[in-house]
Amino acid sequence: MNEAKKVVIVPCSGIGKTYGTVSREAAYEVVEEMRPDDTQLVALSLLVLGDEDARAAVATHPAVSIDGCKLACATKMVAESGGEVAADLAVLDVYRRYRQFKPQGIAELNEGGQKLASALAGEICEIVDEILTNQGLTNAGEISTKQPASKKSGGSDA
Amino acid sequence: MVQFLETTVDKFTFKVATDRMYTRAGLWAKHESGRVRIGLTDFLQQRSGDVAFAEVKPKGTKLSAGDEIAVIETIKVDTILDSPVSGTVVEVNPAMDDQPEVLNLDPYGEGWMAVVEAEDWQADSENLLDADAYFEIMKRQAEEEAANL
Repeated sequence: MNEAKKVVIVPCSGIGKTYGTVSREAAYEVVEEMRPDDTQLVALSLLVLGDEDARAAVATHPAVSIDGCKLACATKMVAESGGEVAADLAVLDVYRRYRQFKPQGIAELNEGGQKLASALAGEICEIVDEILTNQGLTNAGEISTKQPASKKSGGSDA
Repeated sequence: MVQFLETTVDKFTFKVATDRMYTRAGLWAKHESGRVRIGLTDFLQQRSGDVAFAEVKPKGTKLSAGDEIAVIETIKVDTILDSPVSGTVVEVNPAMDDQPEVLNLDPYGEGWMAVVEAEDWQADSENLLDADAYFEIMKRQAEEEAANL
């Protein structure tokens, strides 16, 4: 695994909120199952606490933030930590595209929530792939001189 | 220029427009030459959370005061909204379909839900609250909710 090709995923840290759980489940799915070699998870709470490793990760890699509500804490903290928000996704916007997946539950999502998280994970992967392509990263981890793309995807309602 | 009554409870600030009438449930009704424009109050939209979907009864629907005029689905709850007046829906805000977030962003302006041709505004308005009366009720509701947090 080449650290240089990692895209950082920063999900909402909203505990006790369904949309926050959806954002984290989607992030786990991407980082652990769908794009384990291309992505790494950074906990929002570590950015809030000023953790050096977390701040370094977002400062040196393109970040995809996933916000659970219009406060957009994930997006804001990436920026405040010196990172580049390559794309930000809002769970609410994704839900509007997948109304059949109504999320419920907090500690454990219902089936709709799990499917919404998977749909969100799919959208994150598309963005990750696009970021890597635009950066000119290859499977060998080579980096071209192209700058990362700045993409507003889905938009945050903050 | 719309004037507002305003209160801050905990970290939240709530506004009440002074140029319209209200239901206790948190809908506003603004009389406009025989027609009544209807929407959510700032308090109700903040308490309900970000709106994912808003389904408003279509144009031509006849309503009695208290009948369901809309359902909103937010990140927290699904809420049935009762019409403050009797009459016929003559206009539905097209933004309810593709930009329901206007309910949160501008509840007293662009976030209106529907316009109803009122059957008897005078009679219906007697059952509604003026801004001052609603403001006091809303403050109590907000304070109660803050105390329960």
